[in-house]
Amino acid sequence: MRILLAEDDPLLGDGLRAGLRQLGFSVDWVRDGPAAERELRAEPYAAAVLDLGLPGLDGMEVLASVRRAGVSLPVLVLTARDAIPERIRGLDLGADDYVLKPVDLHELAARLRALVRRAHGQPQELLRAQGVVLDPAGRSVSLDGQPVTLATREFDLLQLLMLNAGRVLSREQLEQQLYAWGQEVESNAVEVHVHHLRRKLGAGLIQTVRGVGYLLQREAPKP
Amino acid sequence: MRRLRSLQARLLALTLGLVLGAWLASALVVWLDTRHELDELLDAHLAQAAALLVAQQVHEMDDGPGIDAPSLHRYAPKVAFQVFHEGRLVLRSANAPAAPLLDAAEGFRSGLRSVRIEGQAWRVFAAHGSERDVQVYVGEQLASRASIVWAVLRGMLTPMLLALPLLALALWWAVRRGTQPLRTLGAQLRQRRPDSLLALQLPDVPAEMRPMLDALNALFERIAALLEAERRFTADAAHELRTPIAAIRAQAQVALGASEDGERRHALQATLQGCDRASRLVEQMLTLARLEAEQAPAGAPVDLLALARRVLAELAPAALQQGQDLALEGEQPCPVAGNETLLAVLLRNLVDNALRYSPAGARVQVSVSQAAGATRLLVTDSGPGLDEAQCQRLGERFFRVLGSGRDGSGLGWSIVRRIAQAQGARIELARSAALGGLEVRLSWPAV
Repeated sequence: MRILLAEDDPLLGDGLRAGLRQLGFSVDWVRDGPAAERELRAEPYAAAVLDLGLPGLDGMEVLASVRRAGVSLPVLVLTARDAIPERIRGLDLGADDYVLKPVDLHELAARLRALVRRAHGQPQELLRAQGVVLDPAGRSVSLDGQPVTLATREFDLLQLLMLNAGRVLSREQLEQQLYAWGQEVESNAVEVHVHHLRRKLGAGLIQTVRGVGYLLQREAPKP
Repeated sequence: MRRLRSLQARLLALTLGLVLGAWLASALVVWLDTRHELDELLDAHLAQAAALLVAQQVHEMDDGPGIDAPSLHRYAPKVAFQVFHEGRLVLRSANAPAAPLLDAAEGFRSGLRSVRIEGQAWRVFAAHGSERDVQVYVGEQLASRASIVWAVLRGMLTPMLLALPLLALALWWAVRRGTQPLRTLGAQLRQRRPDSLLALQLPDVPAEMRPMLDALNALFERIAALLEAERRFTADAAHELRTPIAAIRAQAQVALGASEDGERRHALQATLQGCDRASRLVEQMLTLARLEAEQAPAGAPVDLLALARRVLAELAPAALQQGQDLALEGEQPCPVAGNETLLAVLLRNLVDNALRYSPAGARVQVSVSQAAGATRLLVTDSGPGLDEAQCQRLGERFFRVLGSGRDGSGLGWSIVRRIAQAQGARIELARSAALGGLEVRLSWPAV
C-alpha cells in the first residue's frame, strides 16, 4: 500500500518512513504543507499520515483544502496537539483517525490498514475472494486453507486487487498505487506480477480486460 | 498584660481607658483647684473672724455673761474659737476646750496653722490685740473642708460613672460598626474556595483598607499569573517533548525490525540523535524555568570579552567539525554589571543558535566593544537570516523557524530574551550587512 507521510521533523519522518516500509507500506515523505496538499490531490495514495504542525500550510488547512477538493482517501492525523477541541476540529475537518505522538509503529500500521479496509467497504480484517484469504496484518495468503508464499510486490498487487474487488484497475493505477517515488518500475512489472499470481493462485482469479486493465471478483465467474 | 486578640476589644478598651483617664485627670484638676480656692476663702474667713473677735474683745472685755458663747447653727461644732485676756479664757465657743487651741509651749505666734486636736485635724488662726493682752484663736475642722471638696467631686464624677456603661455600650456599637468592613472581608476570605484567585470585591471599602485590599488583589493576580505561566510551561514542555520521543520510539522500532546492518545502524544513530535532542530540550526548559523563578543577583562586573572567549572556546570544536568558521573580535576588557553565569548562558545560546542555523562553511562572528561607557555585543552569521515576521515571532516559547531543517527546540531564544531583560541589556535583530545572515545586537547602556 502506498502511503503519503507529511511530517516536518527530520528524525521522526525518517523513522516513520523506514518503519512503515518495514511493515510493508510504500511511503512517500513530504516535509511541508504545500507539498502535502499537492501530492494528496495528485497521487493515488491508499492513505495519508498527516502531521499538524507543518511549515508553510498547517496540517488542518491541508486537510480542509483536500477534502473541499473532493479527495476522499483516509487521512490519519499524527500530532502532538492533544487538546480535545483540536481533536474534534481535526475529525470534523475530515480526518479519519487522530493519533497522538508518540505512536507505536505497529499500531500506526494497524490503524492505517483498518482505515484502508474500511475505505474500501471491507469491515473484516481478512480479505476473501474465491477461496483466497489475504491477511493484511500478517502479510500472508492462503488458497483453500493452504498457505501460499508470495513476493512483496505480488502480495501488494493482490491486496490492491482484493481491496478493489469487482472494479477494473488500469495498469497505470496499479503502478501508481504500488510504487513510491524513486522506486524503479519496470515497463511490464504489473504483467509479470499478475502472471506469477495466476500461476500460484489459479488462472481464473484475476481477469484481464483487454485495453483497460485487471479485475478480481469476489465470487468465481459462472463458467 | 495579655494583648487583646480582637481589634474590636482593643479599640473598645483603648477608648474606654482614655475616656476614664481624661475624666480622672479632670477630676484631679477640679479637686486641686477647689481645695485651693476653698482653703483661700475659708482661711480668709478664719482670719476675718479672729480679727472681729480681737476688735470686740478690746472693748467689751468683761461685759459678757459668761465665757461660753451660744451655739447658733448646727454646723457650729465644726467651728471653734477662744478668746484669752491676759492668759485667762474669757470667751469660747461651746465645743472649744479650755486650753488654747495652739500649744502655748511653742510660744504664741499669730497666723494660720494646721494642728491635730483630740484626733481631729483643725485649721487654726491665732491673732492678738495690739497690746498683746488679748489672744484669739479661731479654728475649723479640716474634715468639713474635705467634705466640701468631696461633694464637688461627687457632683462631677457621679453622673460620669453612671454614664460609663452607657458610653461603653455606645462605643461598642460604634466600634463594631466601624470595623464591619473588616469582618466582611474576613467572611469573604473564609468563604473563598482555596484555589480561587479572583480579585476580592468589597463594596464601600474604607480608605484605610484600600491598600490592604489592593495588595491582596495584586497578590492574587501575581499568583494567578505565576500559576498560569507554570501551567503553560508544563503543557508546552509535555507537548514539545512528544515529537522527539515519537522520533526516538519510531527509530528504535525501525532498528528492532531492521533486516540489514546498514539500516539498523542508521536507525540506532537516529535514536541517539533523538535522545540528544530531547535532553537538550529538557535542559533548556529547566534553564528557562529557573530563569523565570529567580532573579539572580548581579555580582562583580563581568568582563564580556573574557567571557566570550571562554564560551567560544567551548563551542569551537563542534563548529570546526561542521566546517564553520567561528571568530571573536574585541580589543579591551568590556566590564558590564551582571551575573556571570547567566551571561554565559546567554552567549552560549546566541552562538549556538548562529551555528545551528547556519550551513557548513558559514562564518559566525562575535564582537565585543565598549564606547563612551556603553557596551555592545554582536553575534553575526552568514546563514540564511530571518524575515521580519520570523524576527517578530522569535522568542515566543517553542517558536522555531519551520522548515529550517534544524532540530532546535525553539527555547534558546526565549532564554536569550529573558536573560537580556534581566541583565538590563537591549536586544535587537537585523540582517547583517557584513555577512548577510542574522545579526543579534546586545547593548548595555553607559552606567
